[in-house]
Amino acid sequence: MTTLKIVNLHVSVEGKEILKGLNLTVRTGEFHAIMGPNGTGKSTLSQTIMGHPAYEVTSGHIYMDDQDLAELSVDARARAGLFLAMQYPSEIQGVTNAEFMRAAINARRPEDDPINVMDFINKLDEKREFLSMSEEMAERYLNEGFSGGEKKRNEVLQMMMIEPKIAILDEIDSGLDIDALKVVSRGVNEMRSDDFGTLMITHYQRLLTYIVPDFVHVMMDGRIVKTGGAELAQKLESEGYAGLRNELGIDAHLTDEDANSYFVEG
Amino acid sequence: MNKTVELDMPIFPKVRYSGWHLDEIEPSLAEVKERHYINDQAFGIEVNGQATAYQHVPDALTAQGVRVMSMLKAQALCPELLSQYVGQVIPATTDRLVAQNFHYFNTGIFVYIPDDTQVDDVLQLALNHVATQGQDMMARIVIYVGRRVKLSIFQQMHTLGEVKSKASVVIEIIAATSAQVTYANVDAFSDVTTAYINRQALVTEHATVNWENASFNDGNVITQLESHLRAEGATSHAEVIALSSKKQVQGIMTTVENSGRHSVGHIFQRGVILNRSKLVFNGIGRIIKGAKGADAQQESRVLMLSRRARGDANPLLLIDENDVTAGHAASVGQIDENQMYYLMSRGISKKIARKLVIRGFMGEVLAKMPTKFAQQLIIDEIERKLQDENETS
Repeated sequence: MTTLKIVNLHVSVEGKEILKGLNLTVRTGEFHAIMGPNGTGKSTLSQTIMGHPAYEVTSGHIYMDDQDLAELSVDARARAGLFLAMQYPSEIQGVTNAEFMRAAINARRPEDDPINVMDFINKLDEKREFLSMSEEMAERYLNEGFSGGEKKRNEVLQMMMIEPKIAILDEIDSGLDIDALKVVSRGVNEMRSDDFGTLMITHYQRLLTYIVPDFVHVMMDGRIVKTGGAELAQKLESEGYAGLRNELGIDAHLTDEDANSYFVEG
Repeated sequence: MNKTVELDMPIFPKVRYSGWHLDEIEPSLAEVKERHYINDQAFGIEVNGQATAYQHVPDALTAQGVRVMSMLKAQALCPELLSQYVGQVIPATTDRLVAQNFHYFNTGIFVYIPDDTQVDDVLQLALNHVATQGQDMMARIVIYVGRRVKLSIFQQMHTLGEVKSKASVVIEIIAATSAQVTYANVDAFSDVTTAYINRQALVTEHATVNWENASFNDGNVITQLESHLRAEGATSHAEVIALSSKKQVQGIMTTVENSGRHSVGHIFQRGVILNRSKLVFNGIGRIIKGAKGADAQQESRVLMLSRRARGDANPLLLIDENDVTAGHAASVGQIDENQMYYLMSRGISKKIARKLVIRGFMGEVLAKMPTKFAQQLIIDEIERKLQDENETS
């Protein structure tokens, strides 16, 4: 079993404190969801775990088992078993999707023992078909000219190819129509095992009807303010974040409060 | 070299090359008879020094009058045809280096494709500098593409041998009415070759010449790339990628001149600079009076990957007509950190991620190379130059 443990995490971006003492533990075998209003630090959390250089940890720790991630570069964190499905994946022309994924897999193997090409192709074909992706996508340039939905599928495809221990899915549902959402969810559910845990970040309860979480956490103002089971997401759907904030007596301004619409990305 | 000294040397802004002595060239008679860079059965020719190491034209094309031969053979077999085109795109009196090449070239390639010829395969041209004796290469390539012909060319240049010497290569392309030409090249001279390369195309009515120019030389080089859009609807996209490393200097000047109405000339350049090397992109869009409805655009971007690298991207628009559209963009910057982060977040090491990002930066031109071999050649050259970078830094 692998455990991702976040202890009293404080993070600043360009001098502004975004995360203000966040605690969270995710174990392999568990599906977690983090929900929360816009501007509350959900994406900051995911980028910080992965090690994005723009996010500065001012205090607190993130551990993978006994390893303090502060000591690991981005690529070393990935090789230690972390994966981040990004909200805005980069496009890289001149590098094919297949070549990129093979490089990612080989990065986890000894330099003199790269994955057998046929094994790689067979695995890619299998996962690709599972996600209803066309054959030509393997030879297309990485995310280049991909639609929003194709990019999300491609993130999930990479996850299935790399087989991380803990995957953070940052708004994997945004911009997806219902059919694409079902496909993406099928991919994530297929990964469910004792050796895989996930932390899903989402605005929408909708995603959680397809990927049922074991734990739901609500984030506000840089902290987790409430944790429950899958039913908590349904409660939020009907009462909104403002209701929960008032119930908990938290003094936090919700970015979209004025517009009274917490479910639209700003 | 008396015929040439009264002319001026060509002007390459921001590149000092007078110490390279490119106007003091001793044409070499050396030759290498073995083929190195063209696959068997390919449609094309490999010329190494004065030797033809490979030559193949499908019978069906020969029957239609297609000629692909060494310059020496053309001078012997079809001197009249050849003389109609040599010096037609670049007048012999243009400057000292052009004149020197015009008067003294003693090798090269001649290509003649008659009107309406259907050509299915990519035409492959390899011209290699034989650097075994210390004399220099003085070569000219002349290509005539007939009316309505659609042709894709892949040209490469390498160095065979290890004796320091020079190369002067002038390439002229004539695209007749409605011809569609893609000219892709990989220049990959080694560090013993100091080179002057001048490629120019004459683009006539409704014809197109698109350049996919990859400058991956290791030595000091000045390269001129120019399209003359001489008539109504002539089009040229000049796309250039370049990678400089170690202590070399590569100066690249890309020019599109719109004199035809509704002519379209776009320049797109991407360069990467490693170690202590220097890379200069000069882009010139010139619109001549009377070229109504002409379009001239250019974009040049340079990535500097070392503190000691020196780079420049100088756009210039010279417009002498009101009824036109034109624009330019240029930048000198660092590697895209978001792309690096994305690749590394998948476990890919910084070193490999950097290589992939550099390839991506050049991806637009890489993608347009006409053969898999050409694409792989560029990928390998990037790899090799980055490998060298680690050894020298």
